[in-house]
Amino acid sequence: MVNSDGQLFTIEGISAGLIMLLTAYIVVNTTSIYTPGDTHISDMQLEQLGSDALRLMNTPNTSATSAESSLQKIIINNDTAQFSNTFLWFCNSTTSGTNDNLQFTADLYYRDKNTNSVNKIHLTQTRNLIGGEHPVRVTEWVHLNSNGQVPVNNREQAVLVEVLLWRD
Amino acid sequence: MGFIVSFALFFLAIVVNQSTVVGQTTAEGVIEFPKNDIIDVRNEILFSSGIVNPTNLTDVKNDISSIGLARKMAIISFNATPAPPGSSYKNVILIHYNNGVTAYNETANY
Repeated sequence: MVNSDGQLFTIEGISAGLIMLLTAYIVVNTTSIYTPGDTHISDMQLEQLGSDALRLMNTPNTSATSAESSLQKIIINNDTAQFSNTFLWFCNSTTSGTNDNLQFTADLYYRDKNTNSVNKIHLTQTRNLIGGEHPVRVTEWVHLNSNGQVPVNNREQAVLVEVLLWRD
Repeated sequence: MGFIVSFALFFLAIVVNQSTVVGQTTAEGVIEFPKNDIIDVRNEILFSSGIVNPTNLTDVKNDISSIGLARKMAIISFNATPAPPGSSYKNVILIHYNNGVTAYNETANY
């Protein structure tokens, strides 16, 4: 004889099983907490910001073939204060409210033609790295002509400006 | 009826729970692809292809290769040959970039 007496038992059993599964899933899931920083979205945004700032600094503001960008002039004249001011102004500006507070440290990598090794000149920094920061690295190739106080060898060369950028 | 609604709520709870994972692969994909590196080094290479002095050109080629390998973890090389006569461009430049994950090869008429 078929009747609907056992339906409630079945439903109760199914929902009990579902609750047990849900509980087990929640318990296992709390062992690793997923924070917004783990998604690396803010790292990606910071990297793009730094890259854009360096690209802007390396763009000449006239179209003459001999026009130099401000980054070229900064490296040739070793004007590290100008680098710091310009880079921070590009990175820390906001459309309204107080400016941002990003920190950076910048190095210049060049190739020594005599020893064929890649060496580093430290340009400037807002403060030294102490180890607890999570910086992103942005780089920019700069072309130096042979006229001027170039880093070494006094020749036409391509150097790499490398900036570590982080938020305190 | 309430039983079916509870299934819907369960499904929504899973969707909200998994939503935090969504941004990660997108952001990491953007970080991993060397877009700015390639644009940057391509600018430098195209500019350098116009260098007339052959010693300087060799110097810059070696600069880009050495610094690219040491600091950018990438093999970067280029080769500029003069364009065929009557072309509107000066050089045919072959650019090769490979950072182990992404390879970029270009033949540029510049």
